[in-house]
Amino acid sequence: MAPLNSLEKEYPLIDSNFQIFCASHAIYSVEDFLLHDIDALFTSATNCSSSQKLNQGIHQLLSIIDALHPPLLNGLQLVEDARQNKHVFSTGCQGIDALIGGGLRVGQLTELVGPSSSGKTQVCLMSASTVAKHNCSVIYLDTGNSFSPQRVAHFIGQSSDYVSGNQADRRLLQNVLDRIICYPVFDVYQMFDLLHQLKNNLRSKIGKSDRHVKLLIVDSISSLITPILRGSGPQGHTLMISAGFLLKQLAHEHNITVLVTNHVVGGDDGNSKPALGESWKSVPHVRLLLSRDCGGKVCNMSIIKHPAMASGRTATSVRLFV
Amino acid sequence: MEIGMLPISASKRGKLLAAGYTTLHSIATTSITHLATDIEVSESEALEILNFATRNSALERSSGSNTNVIQGGQTAWDMLNEERFSSSITTSCADLDNILGGGINCKEVTEIGGVPGIGKTQIGIQLAVNVQIPLDYGGLGGKAIYIDTEGSFMVERVLQIAEACIEDMSEYSHHFHKDNQAYGVKMHPNSILENIFYFRVCSYTEQIALVNYLDKFVTEHKDVKIIIIDSVTFHFRQDFEDMALRTRLLGEMSLKLMKLAKNFSLAVVMLNQVTTKHVEGSFQLTLALGDSWSHSCTNRIILYWNGDERHAYIDKSPSLKSASAPYSVTSRGIRNSTSSSKRIKMV
Repeated sequence: MAPLNSLEKEYPLIDSNFQIFCASHAIYSVEDFLLHDIDALFTSATNCSSSQKLNQGIHQLLSIIDALHPPLLNGLQLVEDARQNKHVFSTGCQGIDALIGGGLRVGQLTELVGPSSSGKTQVCLMSASTVAKHNCSVIYLDTGNSFSPQRVAHFIGQSSDYVSGNQADRRLLQNVLDRIICYPVFDVYQMFDLLHQLKNNLRSKIGKSDRHVKLLIVDSISSLITPILRGSGPQGHTLMISAGFLLKQLAHEHNITVLVTNHVVGGDDGNSKPALGESWKSVPHVRLLLSRDCGGKVCNMSIIKHPAMASGRTATSVRLFV
Repeated sequence: MEIGMLPISASKRGKLLAAGYTTLHSIATTSITHLATDIEVSESEALEILNFATRNSALERSSGSNTNVIQGGQTAWDMLNEERFSSSITTSCADLDNILGGGINCKEVTEIGGVPGIGKTQIGIQLAVNVQIPLDYGGLGGKAIYIDTEGSFMVERVLQIAEACIEDMSEYSHHFHKDNQAYGVKMHPNSILENIFYFRVCSYTEQIALVNYLDKFVTEHKDVKIIIIDSVTFHFRQDFEDMALRTRLLGEMSLKLMKLAKNFSLAVVMLNQVTTKHVEGSFQLTLALGDSWSHSCTNRIILYWNGDERHAYIDKSPSLKSASAPYSVTSRGIRNSTSSSKRIKMV
């Protein structure tokens, strides 16, 4: 929060008298206030003149702070929330669903890791089409111009030359495709802008039940973060962790599933490991590793990390190219 | 820390934190003079910071509108309709065009890689000429930017390919407009050469500076439809001590190219070299610049030798099937392979 003197406009109790009193205890901002011993402050306030006003000022500050933190929930409320809101969405492929315990869970951040051309974007497109078919909105942040509406139309079940189809089919296809919104993002700050706008939009639309955003895909978050990582200073790391935190907050508070893709880099012993480093490892809830045999049509997926399934389980997904 | 999300320098960020501003809301509610004195910067810099911070709060206040779509997005249905009208740049080889779904697509970044001598520069030159085929003949009628890092751009060869292209076009018009004799081709090889903007870069800093400058250049020359970089690897392979810096620079360059391709609806073609990779005990040929670079393109085509023939294989694409097609390099440019097996092999 701002320095104390800027709170004076909104809260007249925090007047210059109060500020001088706080300054005598080296308190200039709300952070300093929190670090200070409150009881000692109360006792020294009673010793001063105009102690009642000072006491009121201290209470006012405490109430401002109380209004800012999120509500505390007990276990029962969490279970209720999980049962009502945190459903599971199918990815569209039975093998993947069986592997990860039913599908993508609302409120969780799922990460797909894999070398180039291992099927990450295909899984994203398939999940987007499946979720859109079930009457929910999908937001797709695309950093590599790889969002292919033709492929999505293919997955939805219509043939790619939809023009020759009948009117009802076309309208159905249009309805489903209208729910998937694609944003080209080429900058990490652009992504932050977008996510903040989404957060504001969702907060102000609580109660509107149609067209709820249920799936947010960032393909791929590693290409946005790699240019700023390990540069001069820890700024890159801060942004990466902030991004992860923001995505998880969106997922939990607004009941969205978040899917991100990441690439691999060469490790020390020659094996490939996921990019974005050690700090990113703890951010996603579910991490899945994809791989494709050279020139083959079959992709393999295995679990690196999952809160409910054993890691190391593998599945072989069906041919992705029909 | 919401301050961390503002695109400002580290020193300004430090000053903001020291003065007690840790959220965007706190900055948005102060005045410019207040902010300037608190963190000891000039008023114009304070105004800049204030603008960044208020952008977010302004969005908060205006979110009462009915639009479901945040600024900048498109629904998949609109994109599908747009795709029907977007054209592609032919490669003059029918087999190759078939596996590419018509040719090199605009709005996408395509990477083409192969061993030396397989014909990468030839494909680059052919595309620079083909993008200028007028709309009447099924082309884009656009101009080309050719960024040469290796010095392999030979003007005489471009002239040769341009002349062959014009001859093909007049033959085509002869076939289909036999009755209308006045339908002659009005293009001259010199005009084709005039529409290729050639840049020669000699170091990696020049390359990055040029990619940054391209945004301004393409805004001034709106009919540029293809950017060819031959080759994107050359300056990044020799003596780069700091690999982390290389990854960062390449990542940023690829994002800028993606942005160019999307915003101006043009095609970006990057030509890449090969290197060996140690995989499971054996050495395999892969494209250069490492694993992180392999994600910086939308499509990837690998050129290789199959016996005596040149083949192209689609390695990565969001919507095309994996397939390979033969092609050949003739004196007239890239053409169909003349071998007896004319069928495309589906992998």
